[in-house]
Amino acid sequence: MHSQYRALALVPLLLLANQVLDAQKKLKVVTTLNYLRYIVEQVGGDKVDAIALANPKQDPHYVTPTPRMNQLASDADLFVENGINLDLWAKNVVDASGNPKIQRGNLGQMTATINVPLKELPLEVSRAWGDIHPQGNPHVWLDPLNVRIIAENIAERLKKLDSPNSDYYESRLGSFQDRLDIAMFGEDLIKAIGAKAGDILVRKARNDELGEWLKARKLDSKLAGWLRDAEKFKGVKLMSYHKTYIYFCDRFGLQIAGELEEKPGIPPPPQHRDAIVELMNKERIRIILNDNFYSRDASDYIASKTNANVVVTYIEVGATPEIDTYEKVISYLVDEIAQAAK
Amino acid sequence: MVRTSLCIAVAFCGMMESVYSQEKDATSVPYDDLKKEISLLRSKLDSLTSAQIVTGFGVAGEEGLERLEKRLQELERKVDAVSRSTAAIVFNPRTTAFMNVAARSDNLKVLDATGEAKIDNRPFLRTIELDFRAPVDPYAEAVAIIAIEDEAGTGFAIDPEEAYGLLKRLPILESAPLGMKVKIGKFRAPLGVNNRLHMHDLPWTTRPLVVSKFLGTEHGEFFESGYNPVGIDFDFFLPNPIPGTTLEMNADIVKSGELALSQGGETDQPAFIGRLNLSADWNNEHIVFLGASGYTEGGPSSTSLFGLDLTYKWAPSERRAARSFVAGGEIFFGRHTFEDTSFAQITRKPYGGFGYLQYQLSYWLYVGGRYDWVQEPADETITSRSWSFYASYYTTEFLRFRLGFERQQNDIQNLNSVLLEVNFVFGSHPTEPYWVNR
Repeated sequence: MHSQYRALALVPLLLLANQVLDAQKKLKVVTTLNYLRYIVEQVGGDKVDAIALANPKQDPHYVTPTPRMNQLASDADLFVENGINLDLWAKNVVDASGNPKIQRGNLGQMTATINVPLKELPLEVSRAWGDIHPQGNPHVWLDPLNVRIIAENIAERLKKLDSPNSDYYESRLGSFQDRLDIAMFGEDLIKAIGAKAGDILVRKARNDELGEWLKARKLDSKLAGWLRDAEKFKGVKLMSYHKTYIYFCDRFGLQIAGELEEKPGIPPPPQHRDAIVELMNKERIRIILNDNFYSRDASDYIASKTNANVVVTYIEVGATPEIDTYEKVISYLVDEIAQAAK
Repeated sequence: MVRTSLCIAVAFCGMMESVYSQEKDATSVPYDDLKKEISLLRSKLDSLTSAQIVTGFGVAGEEGLERLEKRLQELERKVDAVSRSTAAIVFNPRTTAFMNVAARSDNLKVLDATGEAKIDNRPFLRTIELDFRAPVDPYAEAVAIIAIEDEAGTGFAIDPEEAYGLLKRLPILESAPLGMKVKIGKFRAPLGVNNRLHMHDLPWTTRPLVVSKFLGTEHGEFFESGYNPVGIDFDFFLPNPIPGTTLEMNADIVKSGELALSQGGETDQPAFIGRLNLSADWNNEHIVFLGASGYTEGGPSSTSLFGLDLTYKWAPSERRAARSFVAGGEIFFGRHTFEDTSFAQITRKPYGGFGYLQYQLSYWLYVGGRYDWVQEPADETITSRSWSFYASYYTTEFLRFRLGFERQQNDIQNLNSVLLEVNFVFGSHPTEPYWVNR
């Protein structure tokens, strides 16, 4: 009889232990791209286990969905996509995962780029224009200000999925955004402005008023970070292989004179290469951005006729062992372009 | 002054919302205007915030600013949501058309599988497939692929190539055991790999002989062939002891008698299909699939089929659009037992298979070859062999030209054919991985 009472007494203890274990259980987050994994890790800290499906060296448009990916997603609590028709292959993975939590319309599925101001929304949607993205250019993460929004979106979703740890996610979001702001504007400027400095500077930068606003307040000498480094190449014209850099170039004051691809997704035909050579020589364009996953043949050919520098670019976290954070992706691009612009 | 500006800004916000609701269905230009307007508002808000930082204007002012901030955020979200949608058509199924045209030139007279239609030395609009798919509700998605197929030059037939609902979850079952997906309807059965591909996705112009002869065909391997019964398919992951690999299983119950090997021996009993697929993927560069499939049906005459398949795909991480390699093969062993007109038990045990290679030379150009051998299901003593070589030229993933040579040899004759094929894909094509990387 006594042993039965003892067993009964164990029940609440077991329930309590179960609750404790549940509270300690990490959210499993599967992301399509590696920059999303990085943001999830920054915001989710030790409350999440995040994994990215794409190989960071790969063209994010052309990832082959495989059973391994489907199985990874089969027990995910959250599936995070870039959206904007970039990682279209994600739908195959979500469908084949058999995981009801991450199907569209559920809290466990999210498009991370919601609320990001999109560029290059096509006025005419037709395949005659190549592989265009009907919802706008999807390479939004190459503008650090957009990554702030993406991090907010991810934090909001983590808070909904794991409300007991809301404060934790909010605090980590703040820290991540502070780090981005310091990398973008420099620590001195942030300190000089004081409260809500990041929010104010981000809005001014987004409205193209930052320079004037800082000058009016005699704060322009305190600007540092990526934006200060980017002043070395402000106004420089360049070519890119694909329409990858509109967000990056708009943010850091570069001008894109055109793309090597005649139309998105279609390698440059010979006659288009010649037209580019003529344009580059005429406008004295000396930089070609060539994503690591595209062939360098066209870039090298054009460079040989124009004395241009071909900058091999990496746009994903982890594309090389050295570029293992989002901040390093942007630093790499800024440094390499500055070097090529000399 | 600050309060007046606040009032103006809040009033402007209200006005903006009504403008937004009126412009909801317009093109993206009004959205851009809206975004610019919101941007201006943001700017005003920043000026007010700065004024607050410098001078301070009390709790009421701060609350006003917060309200304005929230209002702006709401507007930004709405504009973003609208710019991502496309008005009333969003609930229509995504529609894609696949159109395949092929011509052949032969050294001999060629008849289709029925032996009635002459098909040598002429062009054919082999198939037009219309692919519709959309979510049904939060629990299911539906796919209907309607094929208008050439009847070997004698006319066209309209057939549901595939039409099924895919159950993703149920209100009473929030999580599926083993990641199970359930497909109900008519679908290309999980017997090997090739049978699941549609004609427009094939790396060759003709179906492998074993697929058309063992699984199904109406007019022969030059026309759409394969096995697509009506039934139910359960697709799930199995616990797997081999690290780094994925083990999946399909278990199907389908209408019997439709497999070519069963020669129309339909019964009231269902047929059963099982498939195990073991796969491994290294950085999305090297992918290997090893599969085993089985089919069985009972009744007065019984049919069973066992198949093995192996596929290896390679595509580098960098320059992925320009280089790839695929090698694979499938082999099937059939068994069909029936009574002949004298009530004697006859058992046929034919087997057949094929192997192939394909290499991508550039973004546009693929070359490859295939070897087939197969015993006739009705008479194992008759064997057919085939060698074929192809070059495929893609302008994009939506338009492909293919030129091929095929030599088919059996105990009676040697048939040499030159095949030319053009494939068009248009519409909002579903996100299927087209064959290797297109």
